[in-house]
Amino acid sequence: MSARRTTLRTLVAAAALVVLAGCGYSATPIPKAVVPEPAAPASSTPCTDTGDPTRSYQPTAGGVPAPGDVPAGSTMAEIRKRGFLVAGVSGDSYLLASRNPFSGVVEGFDIDMVDQIAAAIFGTAKGHVQLRVIAASDRIPLLQSGEIDVVSRNMTINCARWDQIAFSAEYFHSGQKILVQKGSGITQVEQLSGKRVCAPAGTTSLDNIQELAPDAVPVTAGNHTGCLLKFQNGATDAITGDDTVLAGLVAQDPYAEVVTGKALTDEPYGIGVNADNVDLVRFINAVLEQMRADGSWQASYEKWLKPSLKLDAQQPTPVYGR
Amino acid sequence: MTQTQAPPAAATATAAPATPPTPAASAASARRDRTEDVPRLLSRWQVVAVLACLLFAALTAGLQALSWSANRAAADNTEQLVRVQNIQSTLFRADALATTAFLTGGLEPPEQRAAYDEAIETVTRQITEAAEAQPADRAALADLSAAVTDYNSTIAQARANNRQGFPVGAEYLRTASTGLRDTSVEGSAIPLVQALVAANAERAEDELGAQHPLLVLLPGLVALGLLFWVNRNLARRFRRRINLGIAAAFLTVAALTLVAFVVAAIQAGNNADLRDGSYATSYRESTARTAGNDAKANESLRLISRGSGQVYEDRWTAASDVVRANASDVTEAMWDDYAGVHDKIVELDDGGRYDAAVELATTQEDAGSTAKLNAFDARSQKVVSESGAATTDALRSGNTGILVLGIVTLLLGIAAAGMSVWGIGLRRREYA
Repeated sequence: MSARRTTLRTLVAAAALVVLAGCGYSATPIPKAVVPEPAAPASSTPCTDTGDPTRSYQPTAGGVPAPGDVPAGSTMAEIRKRGFLVAGVSGDSYLLASRNPFSGVVEGFDIDMVDQIAAAIFGTAKGHVQLRVIAASDRIPLLQSGEIDVVSRNMTINCARWDQIAFSAEYFHSGQKILVQKGSGITQVEQLSGKRVCAPAGTTSLDNIQELAPDAVPVTAGNHTGCLLKFQNGATDAITGDDTVLAGLVAQDPYAEVVTGKALTDEPYGIGVNADNVDLVRFINAVLEQMRADGSWQASYEKWLKPSLKLDAQQPTPVYGR
Repeated sequence: MTQTQAPPAAATATAAPATPPTPAASAASARRDRTEDVPRLLSRWQVVAVLACLLFAALTAGLQALSWSANRAAADNTEQLVRVQNIQSTLFRADALATTAFLTGGLEPPEQRAAYDEAIETVTRQITEAAEAQPADRAALADLSAAVTDYNSTIAQARANNRQGFPVGAEYLRTASTGLRDTSVEGSAIPLVQALVAANAERAEDELGAQHPLLVLLPGLVALGLLFWVNRNLARRFRRRINLGIAAAFLTVAALTLVAFVVAAIQAGNNADLRDGSYATSYRESTARTAGNDAKANESLRLISRGSGQVYEDRWTAASDVVRANASDVTEAMWDDYAGVHDKIVELDDGGRYDAAVELATTQEDAGSTAKLNAFDARSQKVVSESGAATTDALRSGNTGILVLGIVTLLLGIAAAGMSVWGIGLRRREYA
């Protein structure tokens, strides 16, 4: 009888287990991070020109023609026929080119350059400019493919780029500096040793910092505004980049300041143009000369950059002869 | 049936021999003694018959209890699936509202802000409800809750900066929106909620497929075989073809087995219909609703990125394909309305009329893409809600009957065991 009872008990227990088995599930798995393959580093383009890289083409003879008098068959005539100038610009470089959240309009110093070129072609920029907010890495490919007419996006003129595209004369002289928290006590780059420094991925800015402060910890973001986000969230101690860009970041964060002093590098800005459109480069150089003459460059500088850079500046002296 | 009195064959065989047996005769006699120990045989056959009936009763009732439990679990899991899919859709809706409001400038329309807040509240509440409903989801839901909090606080930073006119606000928005979907960071909201959807869909479908008519048949067939064997042995020994008690037990088990099989087969068929019907409708419509809101968020991000938004347009196209592949007829027609307006937005943007494109994407008027998407979202939510409720109602409506049948099977199985005891008791009394 005892054996029978044991058998019965076992059967009842088994049946109970079978019923209970339906009540519990294994925990929902928490997905693991899928780390994407790192992008291959961009290959550097060899430089073939040993002259001053800021040399551009002579401006159009006789200055900027009247809007209706652009030469037939020229790049400007094609743009005029299309009805609008297509310009590649930044969308988040405050003071240079960024979207005003109130008006929805992209505005800034770089945009003023585009408007001046469009106004010279059409008589007015209003309704004749199509801005394409582009990443820094898209500047040259989009110019080469002809998808955009000009790039006005704090683009440094250098020898390697001249092998791929053409540039206008220098329209602003910038330089690499660093942005730190107010009261951090950092007054020179060497003090960044052991500190985290942010710059957009793929730029050479961090290399320049690490030459002077080898123990600086590099931090990257998609762009400079991404670096500001990290700075505000305590994910980086400093940001490095062109002083114009840093001026825009400081204007958005009352707890940030740009370290004063000599810039680490020279960054001459030019308007990028397809290398085949030399006529457009000459035309833009004529527009820049006109801006110097009528004071519109100075007005634009004083409106956008001077309040943050707190420096008097003048339009760079152009170098021609290419 | 009547039984005629006949001398038990075993009774004569049990008489002791008068002379000492030879070794061969002794062995034969020993065998006879063993086979002819009738009371012991009757006890053994009784044990076999009783165990057959009881095991049949326990196993069949157990399987019916499992069936009842599986239907309950299927209903619960379907509810949980609808809940986590609603969290997913609402999260994308919140993102679509946040990104669209951003396009309208620093002063976002109060109704859009209220709709965003309501969406986040819904997500938060449903995460709590889902954690209460399914313990296995709690760890993933805790991470999801943290991810939603992060998202909401980043959107708040975006809004604060945007109101001051700072472009870093747009960066916060992009970071929040991208972070929501980022599979390269552990703990991102959308990969988590996708894992929750997958786990609950698997649970619901497993439970919907947990009806096994052939398995229900098995204990009955085994019990019937054993009862038949007991009856045959009794017949051989007592020269009665049929033992009343065993026969009654046999018929009871046979009837219960047949009913259990038919009920399980009907239930399996009904569940298959549900899985391919209202359950599938709910699952697919919810997938469409999620993709629809994802598309709207990408429409706004395309415009925010102004001119370099091709990556977002590609995502819009992918999301639209998901909507078309999963939406019901009525909601697909509404999606077509929205997609038509989206095409106009793209045309305006590509044609250099950015401001007009933004206006069409942000206006609350019926002609704008926001109103069209809202109409699709509301209708889609209704379809999900109705088809989800239809699934759970169907699963629960006839389920009590299965439990009652299980109890009846258990009681009648025990009764069949009693009939066996009674039937064999008749033979025992005859023998005595």
